[in-house]
Amino acid sequence: MRMICLALLAFAEAIALRQAAEASPVQHVLVQMPLLVLAGVLISWDIRGRRVWAVPLLLTALTAFLFWMLPRSVDWALTPAGETAKYLSLPLLLGVPLRLSWPWLAPVLRGFLKANALSMLGVLGFLYTHAPLRICNSYLVSAQQDLGFAFLHLAVVLACIWAVPVLFGHPRWLPSGSAGCSKCGA
Amino acid sequence: MSTVSENYVPGHAAAAPQAGAVKLTMVLSGAVFALMMAFGLLMRAAQGQWIDLDPALFYQLLTAHGAGMVGTAALSGAAIMWYFCGRHLVLSGGIFWAFLGLFLLGVVLILGAIFIGGYGGAWTFLFPLPALSGGAWEAGAAAAFMLGYTAIGVGFLLYYLELGRRIHARYGSLVRALGWNLILGREDNDPPPPAIVAAAAVTIFNSIGIILGAAVLVASLVHLLVPGFEVDALLAKNLIYFFGHVFINASIYMAVTAVYEILPEYTGKPWKSNRLFAIAWNAVLIFVMAVYWHHLLQDVVMPPWMLVVGQLVSYFSGIPLIAVTAFSTFLYVRGSRMTWDLASSLLVLSVAGWSVGSVPASIDGMISVNKVMHNTMWVPGHFHTYLLLGEVAMAFGFMAWLVRGKTISQMDGLDRAAFVTYLAGAVGFVTVFLFSGAASIPRRWAVHYEEWLSHDRIGTLFGGLVVLGTLVFVLRFAARLGRREG
Repeated sequence: MRMICLALLAFAEAIALRQAAEASPVQHVLVQMPLLVLAGVLISWDIRGRRVWAVPLLLTALTAFLFWMLPRSVDWALTPAGETAKYLSLPLLLGVPLRLSWPWLAPVLRGFLKANALSMLGVLGFLYTHAPLRICNSYLVSAQQDLGFAFLHLAVVLACIWAVPVLFGHPRWLPSGSAGCSKCGA
Repeated sequence: MSTVSENYVPGHAAAAPQAGAVKLTMVLSGAVFALMMAFGLLMRAAQGQWIDLDPALFYQLLTAHGAGMVGTAALSGAAIMWYFCGRHLVLSGGIFWAFLGLFLLGVVLILGAIFIGGYGGAWTFLFPLPALSGGAWEAGAAAAFMLGYTAIGVGFLLYYLELGRRIHARYGSLVRALGWNLILGREDNDPPPPAIVAAAAVTIFNSIGIILGAAVLVASLVHLLVPGFEVDALLAKNLIYFFGHVFINASIYMAVTAVYEILPEYTGKPWKSNRLFAIAWNAVLIFVMAVYWHHLLQDVVMPPWMLVVGQLVSYFSGIPLIAVTAFSTFLYVRGSRMTWDLASSLLVLSVAGWSVGSVPASIDGMISVNKVMHNTMWVPGHFHTYLLLGEVAMAFGFMAWLVRGKTISQMDGLDRAAFVTYLAGAVGFVTVFLFSGAASIPRRWAVHYEEWLSHDRIGTLFGGLVVLGTLVFVLRFAARLGRREG
């Protein structure tokens, strides 16, 4: 119940950020969209996934992720139809499948996805800072460059967050290590 | 006949994890080493005007030689480290096969890009050269070359993820595997052996290098497909040289595990981690990433402090190597009455060659020298010392040990002749490069002036000796495969 409340809170927060998302691509792509994904993750937190679903669910999540990575999709997300699609697809087609598949993924695959995320954040940072034109028509070039630098900062922060437990060991105060969780059955 | 190896039986020495996969990898590595050396020989003979080589083909061979040698050094180093880490960790064979498969896929793409697509932009794919061929190759060829690198990078990433997670599972954290308990004087009932310390360090710095390399590769691919997206040239050069420097150094740091694990069989003295050893490898971890700026000493737009750091770290980075591995090897060998067979001779030679190679590298790492020497033959002189007398000798030493059998005997006539031929050829070959550099002969020129031909021709003769010695090592390895149990 606590997780469902948190999921609703994240979803409500994402809706509350509607104006901010129109004003700034950083708040749109790096605050509102992750909040919607988080809502999907939290809503499915206590659901027990099945191992055989892991690969299809992961592919669903990656497909949704790839779609929303495209600058054109970011533009579309500010139209009424795109906004509805965003509010529905990010929690249901990215957050939920990612949560249900993640505990079943092999550690090497998880590490690969994380390493790939860092590389791609670097590439997105390059694209948004060096694009010779406005790749999102809804935002200014300066805002586009801000988003590029935000991608690079996010890559550094995520690299530190993911590297520290590997370098220094899993903190004792955290409940679980790298392998699965009891609630979802992995 | 020596009895040292029969007396010294470490607890884990009987293990031969995934020996089949490792042997196959070493066969492939040996064959590619020989082929790439033949390419190098062709280029030196063409520079010496002994053969006619179209300049376009020269640059294709240069690209294949560079990419092939770096890739094969890394492949053989990875196989060696996997083999010896398998004595201390349970590693997944599936990951190694995936790594090898992706590597071979990358090789196919790279060879296709070069010899079908005509790509000749050198192994460094330095921006914006791949996109500015002047009609020599299409963008598709450059893209195939970079996709080949990407496939190899993905393979290595899987390799390090598997290694890293197994080290983490066994030791609880990578810093413990790096020997921090030894450094801090804490009690540790299960201290990491040298191979694990090396593996932990290489896993960290090469993973970082590969992630940054992947970013600049994809950015360069985007530029090839949509030329309007221009990469910041200085940022691209920094990322490429960080990736390239770390990657080629990692190949030697992986292969050196053969020295730590094999030489004790000959000396009778186990090679254990201690405080100094752990400090040295932690220093290597920092230095190998901080020193890459010495590749950019001619880029005057770089912040001066970075170039100063590049020069200073160039001095320091030789210290952990020489103070620990080379000095320790000397102490282990001294007074041990070890038997000098092909494996032990090549492994000791490799440590000596690696150490000697750090001298011209440090000289070239000085800003005042680099201004004059950077684009001369001095640079191939220093890295051929590292590779021919260092990493490649380690790989050949490991191959000789893999098929040696249980008893250690003195070198027979053929082994001795091959060893002396390889040693004489390699020493002569790199010395000619260094002399040519000192004489300001430029590197990467397909056509040479008349005054330079004597250098090229002497270099070609020594290169021929290296190829001859290599062929004996590789054919001997292939012929003896399967004869040794386990």
